[in-house]
Amino acid sequence: MRHSARVWMILAILAATCALAAKKPTEYDVKAAYLVNFGRFMRGEPGAAPRASDFDICVLGEDPMGTSLDAIAENEKIGPRTVRVKRVHDAREARSCDIVYLSAAEGEKIAADLEALHGADALTVSDAPEFLRNGGMIQFVLQGDHVRFSVNLGAVHKAHVVLSSELLRVALSVVGAPAGEVAP
Amino acid sequence: MSPARRQTIAATLTRMSMMVSGTALLLAYVSFLAYDWYSLRQELVSQLETEAAITGSNSVTALEFDDPQAAQATLSALSGSPHVLYAAIETPDGAIFAEYSRKAGSHAAPGLHLAGDEFEQHWKLDGSVLLARRIEFGGKALGTVYVLAETTDLMHRAVRFGIISACILFLSFLIAVLATAAIRRLVTGPLTELARTAQVVSRDRDYSVRARLPSSTDELALLVRSFNEMLEQIQQRDAMLEESRTVLELKVEERTAELKTANKELEAFSYSVAHDLRGPLQHISNIVYLLREMCGDGNPQTTAMLEKLDESSARMSRLIEDLLNLSSATSTPLRRRQIDLSGMAQSILTELAAQSPGRQVETMVAAGARVYADEGLIRLVMENLLGNAWKYTSKTPHAKIEFGFEKSADTTAYFVRDNGAGFDPALAERLFRPFQRLHTQEEFPGTGVGLATVQRILARHGGKIWARADVQRGTEFSFTVPDTGGETNGAG
Repeated sequence: MRHSARVWMILAILAATCALAAKKPTEYDVKAAYLVNFGRFMRGEPGAAPRASDFDICVLGEDPMGTSLDAIAENEKIGPRTVRVKRVHDAREARSCDIVYLSAAEGEKIAADLEALHGADALTVSDAPEFLRNGGMIQFVLQGDHVRFSVNLGAVHKAHVVLSSELLRVALSVVGAPAGEVAP
Repeated sequence: MSPARRQTIAATLTRMSMMVSGTALLLAYVSFLAYDWYSLRQELVSQLETEAAITGSNSVTALEFDDPQAAQATLSALSGSPHVLYAAIETPDGAIFAEYSRKAGSHAAPGLHLAGDEFEQHWKLDGSVLLARRIEFGGKALGTVYVLAETTDLMHRAVRFGIISACILFLSFLIAVLATAAIRRLVTGPLTELARTAQVVSRDRDYSVRARLPSSTDELALLVRSFNEMLEQIQQRDAMLEESRTVLELKVEERTAELKTANKELEAFSYSVAHDLRGPLQHISNIVYLLREMCGDGNPQTTAMLEKLDESSARMSRLIEDLLNLSSATSTPLRRRQIDLSGMAQSILTELAAQSPGRQVETMVAAGARVYADEGLIRLVMENLLGNAWKYTSKTPHAKIEFGFEKSADTTAYFVRDNGAGFDPALAERLFRPFQRLHTQEEFPGTGVGLATVQRILARHGGKIWARADVQRGTEFSFTVPDTGGETNGAG
């Protein structure tokens, strides 16, 4: 009897999950989830400065994701660190963040923002075109319905961040010299 | 034993060792196979676990970043495991995220799912095993990986084990065959040699042969040594037996010679005694005659005494005569010739009748009895036998004496039969011993030497004598005188 009760409960939960899933996630829901996931596949270079106890995901400028990032990041932990979402309007404020998302709406400002973040150990992510060419690290790319991403390894290396090879495996493309061959 | 049925020890040992190694190998094969059957499933499951775990963790980013192609590539790595038939990754909502089939489209998702709280589970299917494992990352369930693997290569294992076992079996048989050569040298060789020696001994009774000692110092060597020792002892005993027999023969010859000498001396002595007694006795009887002439009409007591004396000297004279006859029966040489035995019997009976004119005796003599013998000695035989018959019928009212013969296949038995006093058959064997008498002197006078003389004479001729009698119903003496046998003419 107890067993069947549990089965019923599981079925109910499954039904609820299906109902939620039935609401197809939007492009920005996916991007929000990816932002958190990037955090799981990056780590500081050996010898890099120790980080604060919170894992800060910062949104610089306009936020197209709305509440979905907050919903996803809620109660999330990366390793021992609690994920925190911050919205900042100045690139200099974002220097201490672990991941900085630059909305495509930043437009012409992006180059300046990247300049301001130069030297900070933050992973820069954006869906702006030409982001990698401007020195950004990860750029979202839409492939039909699918959200994919490309990586600029050279920029990643300069930021003393190491991306897991697992992550690189699922990247749409990886540009820039491998870490070992990049001149300081 | 025919060569086909003969089984050598070496062959038996070879067969046995082949059988033992074959059985051991078969047992090992079966138990290895059984163990393998069991452990292979376990091994397969744990291998699948590993593969599912690796595949799962390699698919984390693919799931996280929704990249089915990457997951597909990860699953394709399973093509390196030949037993994997099919693999799939499912998202938590039950949709297939990525799939791999060894042969495209050959398998579909098996339709088995993990229960809500299960992390890993495997199912044994017909000829295959399905393993499902959750993919988790950062405490979050990302999906499930399924791996389907075939178990049919157990058969391949069995075949492979079989081939290996057959190879080992072949090798061990080869070794057994080689071992046979060693066994033949160490065991069969000495045994065959021993058996051959034993055969020679039992066939030829030759105890001087010896089995060759094998070079080893094992039980076989001991056996051969003991066998040789046995032969040695038999040989020694044989020699001792032979020696003692020779000694015994020599002794017997010696004794016989001594005995013969003693007998001869004894005969010569008795002959000379008897002969020398004759002279004085003649004197005595002459003097008795003179005394009777001189006092013929004297006192009757003297006359009676003189008569007794005369009678005694006459008896003594007869005794001496008989003793001399006995002596001559053994010592005089045989002179054989043809004799008319019937005529001789008739003339003796006539003489006997003339000596006692008062008696009426019915005599019957069969005609044609002839013997080839010494006449003087045979006459002695006939005089004795017929004289006895005459004497022992003296008290029979209608006395009858018969001489005859009966021819059988190879011998002729002559007989003298009477209806006189006879004798007790229990005492028959004493008849032919010298000085043994079955009747008293008063009943029937006699010396007791006659029949002994008769027997000796017949023995010298190679013949025999025997008697048949009943008390008061008469006696029958039968004898044979072969033409050949006994002593030849002039010998003795």
